[in-house]
Amino acid sequence: MNWPTFNLLLEGAVVTAGLSAVSVLCGLVLGIAICGASLARTRGPRLFASAYVSFFRGVPLLVQLLLLYHVLPRLGLDLPGIAAAAVGLTLCTAAYQAENLRGGFLNVPAGLIEAGRMVGMTARQIMVRIRAPIALRLTLPSVINEAILILKASSLVSVVGVADLTRTAQNIASSNFRPIETFATAGALYLVLNLAVTGGGDVLGRVLGRGR
Amino acid sequence: MTPAIRVEGLAKSYGDHRVLDGIDLRVQPGEVTCLIGPSGSGKSTLLRCLAFLEQHDEGLIEIGGQPLGFAPGPDGRRMRLPEAEIVRVRRGIGMVFQQFNLWPHRTALGNVAEALRFVLRMPRAAAEKQAMSYLDRVGLTDRAGHYPSELSGGQQQRVAIARALAMQPAIMLFDEPTSSLDPELTGEVLDVIRRLAADGMTMVIVTHEIGFAAQVAEHIVFLESGRIALEGTATEVFRRPWNPRLARFLETYLDRGASMLIVEE
Amino acid sequence: MNFGLIRESLPEILQGLAFTMLMWLPGAVLAVAGGLAAAILRHYGGKVIDRILQWLLGIIRGTPFLVQIFLLYYGGPFIGLDLEAPTAGLIGISLYGTAYFAEIIRGGFAAVPRGHVEAASCVGLSRFQTLRRVLLPEVALLILPASVNMLIVLMKETAILSIITVPELTATITGIASLHFAYAEGAFMLALCYWVLTELTGRAGRLLELRLQRFRLA
Repeated sequence: MNWPTFNLLLEGAVVTAGLSAVSVLCGLVLGIAICGASLARTRGPRLFASAYVSFFRGVPLLVQLLLLYHVLPRLGLDLPGIAAAAVGLTLCTAAYQAENLRGGFLNVPAGLIEAGRMVGMTARQIMVRIRAPIALRLTLPSVINEAILILKASSLVSVVGVADLTRTAQNIASSNFRPIETFATAGALYLVLNLAVTGGGDVLGRVLGRGR
Repeated sequence: MTPAIRVEGLAKSYGDHRVLDGIDLRVQPGEVTCLIGPSGSGKSTLLRCLAFLEQHDEGLIEIGGQPLGFAPGPDGRRMRLPEAEIVRVRRGIGMVFQQFNLWPHRTALGNVAEALRFVLRMPRAAAEKQAMSYLDRVGLTDRAGHYPSELSGGQQQRVAIARALAMQPAIMLFDEPTSSLDPELTGEVLDVIRRLAADGMTMVIVTHEIGFAAQVAEHIVFLESGRIALEGTATEVFRRPWNPRLARFLETYLDRGASMLIVEE
Repeated sequence: MNFGLIRESLPEILQGLAFTMLMWLPGAVLAVAGGLAAAILRHYGGKVIDRILQWLLGIIRGTPFLVQIFLLYYGGPFIGLDLEAPTAGLIGISLYGTAYFAEIIRGGFAAVPRGHVEAASCVGLSRFQTLRRVLLPEVALLILPASVNMLIVLMKETAILSIITVPELTATITGIASLHFAYAEGAFMLALCYWVLTELTGRAGRLLELRLQRFRLA
């Protein structure tokens, strides 16, 4: 493996990292919205949330990306490949994050909520000042987990032509005929990215953990 | 007469923390001994050492005259006994746990019969027949086909006692047998233990039920900070005026149990 | 939506589905077996083996499935492993699944209350008997939900095998769709098929969990 080749892979890794980061964050925001819908008092939003989560967790990401890739133009949205990929990853991760958040919400100890009620807080205040912060704190580890999963799942955007780490590795391997070396290096880069996320997650956890 | 249990110079540490220190104990056959004391006094650890669920760091344990786990070697230092030897000596001991520890995927009958089938190699039908007789001893034949998840805490503990009895140990050890039970369920378990005592079983019981201990035990051992602070018959130990250290401990129990302690001879 | 086309292509679609099952089910079985072997090796095999396996399995869990498949299929010939696409696919799914099941089973072993094992040794059962009669049954019950989830994950991963030309469901339907320029419809159909499969498997799993409730701690 020479430096120029490795450099190309690094560029691919940057695309992968950037794409994943954007998708996880947007997915978190969307996930919060969907989680909110799943906890709504009316049936409509609850049904929608339930169907959304079921669909985006039940259909393989590859199929979701293919669907998006072919449906978007039909809807008149001509997005560049990488934007479409980001949309696809976001929609997918939002479903998982919504479920994680829901779990976090339902696991807020009942005693804390009752304490809020006894001290006179309104339902809205309880939601905003007790349930939401605690739920988010409980869910942080799973957001980090999602980030790692998205990092790996993003390898599929290579199929819709985005120049991520996997696509770059494929291109290189098909021209230098050294697939083992190339893909192994790509794999190693994925592992490095994973470690970075895990490490970052630990730091974040410690910083936010002061309020325990 | 060989003591059923003989403990000499027993010590155990977890890291820097010396949980048991210089314990000497003798339990005679047919005798009921109760270990009492505050949390952290080491009473459960001592019991678990007797069952070799914890390995003692110093000292000697003899069960029916046979060393358990470690014995003094030819050079005077202690050496670990072979696994087969440890298993053999342990067969004379039955253990009942605070958390019952019934196997959830087996029925009550299945739990009691398990060791009969796989350790004593009894055929299934014979094992189950014998298991039923032990369930009868604890009064649970009608629940034989139920799973632990379908039994109350008191029933589960009685099944656990039957399971331990089925291997016909010479000694029964009880680690806080009623501490996990709702108050109204402790009675049924204590009754079973009383009957076993009346039948002459050698028993060592770690318990918080001071009243029960005073009634049933011939030998009370009060542990504090890993050492035996007080020892004797129930009459001796609970005679008023109470030893100040015992009084300090009993004050926390002056609800049901201790108030029944009237030791007027 | 062209229903005539669907009706015509049904045999072919069913073949693709059968191939998906061929990749998924044997792969899952091998993955559970492999995961169990790995978990037992890690537990009883000593520190060195534990470390080595920890690293190996960590690498498989930490890299994308697609990259692993490419390594097997395109890289295989270079180390004498000239695999056909379906074989590579099956091996890929099995290895990937093994790494995850090893963790799931490890977690199961850790979740069995220590007291159950102590009770077994107190009553005289040998280590092997305790493993067979107490640990394994309890672990099986404890890991059921996580295992059903993993099963579904593996099924979704089989779609990726279409990239190395395994003729499973995704390859089949996208193939038909491209012949008739019905890309979006094909993708929709595909999504629907997987959605149904996933929901069915999930429901079956939850049903099984319910029926086995009495064998678990209250």
